[in-house]
Amino acid sequence: MPRATEIERLYDKHAQPLFAFLLNFTRDEADTRDLLQEIFVKLAREPKLLDGVREERAFLIRLAHNAAIDLIRRRGTRERTKENFAAETISIFAPANDPDGKFFREELAIALGELPDEQRAVVHLKLWEGLTFEEIAEALEIPPNTAASRYRYGLDKMRGRLRPLYEEMKKAE
Amino acid sequence: MMNDETENFEQKLRRQSLRQIPGGWRAEILVAAGENRRKTREFSFAAAVASGLRQIFWPAPAAWAGLAVVWIFIFALNFSIRDKTPQVAEKVSPPSPEVIAELRQQKLLFAQLIGSSDAREAEPPKFFPRPRTERVEILAA
Repeated sequence: MPRATEIERLYDKHAQPLFAFLLNFTRDEADTRDLLQEIFVKLAREPKLLDGVREERAFLIRLAHNAAIDLIRRRGTRERTKENFAAETISIFAPANDPDGKFFREELAIALGELPDEQRAVVHLKLWEGLTFEEIAEALEIPPNTAASRYRYGLDKMRGRLRPLYEEMKKAE
Repeated sequence: MMNDETENFEQKLRRQSLRQIPGGWRAEILVAAGENRRKTREFSFAAAVASGLRQIFWPAPAAWAGLAVVWIFIFALNFSIRDKTPQVAEKVSPPSPEVIAELRQQKLLFAQLIGSSDAREAEPPKFFPRPRTERVEILAA
């Protein structure tokens, strides 16, 4: 059984990336908190869950991903539609200091929200977790080629949406 | 050219720093996890008992099942016998006065036939007056 200190270690090491991943997935802070708690409660309850696991991070992302999908399925039947899901202004990014940077992050958050769940998950793990396609494939239980194609589709969509803003910012730089 | 553009765009996105997890969550989540760990530990005692029983019974489940069937049969038999006894007792009605009188008479007759002391006990000897001539004959004999 994981001791209290072991759970604390896991939290300190993995809670931040799991938080960002879940927030990007759920777009809801309360849901993110619930899911994060669910994961750590599961780790405390099932002592042998991490036995023999090679990559803790990939394993925990898989847990988070499965929990988030379950939540979105439940929520999908409840109240939310894809439209208002994308339109939510909650951002996974830290507040920027300059107005341009702030605007870019807001637009980027919206562009991410418009991506299908599966593309958003891959884009997040590739860009902000720095995982390889093999690691993403292992975490999300998909083939590496699928991970790569989802990433390219997602990135193209975001670039198409953010291109004017991005070009403008590049000129200003 | 296209690849450079893509790489630049990726780099731009990577540089966007992510929100930090709220500091207050740590304590709340770890407390929730700790409570669950305690419950799991309590539960694991019951699980250990169940596991021990499983280890005892699992090696020969058919033999244990057979033994259980035999015991169930014995209990069933025992209960069925116990149930019938009071019913029989309840059905036996006390003998009627006529039957008692008849039985008493038969007993007396039997006692007289075998000449046992039971007859005397059963009924005191009666005095029958006889003629005097008969009494004299008896004395002469």
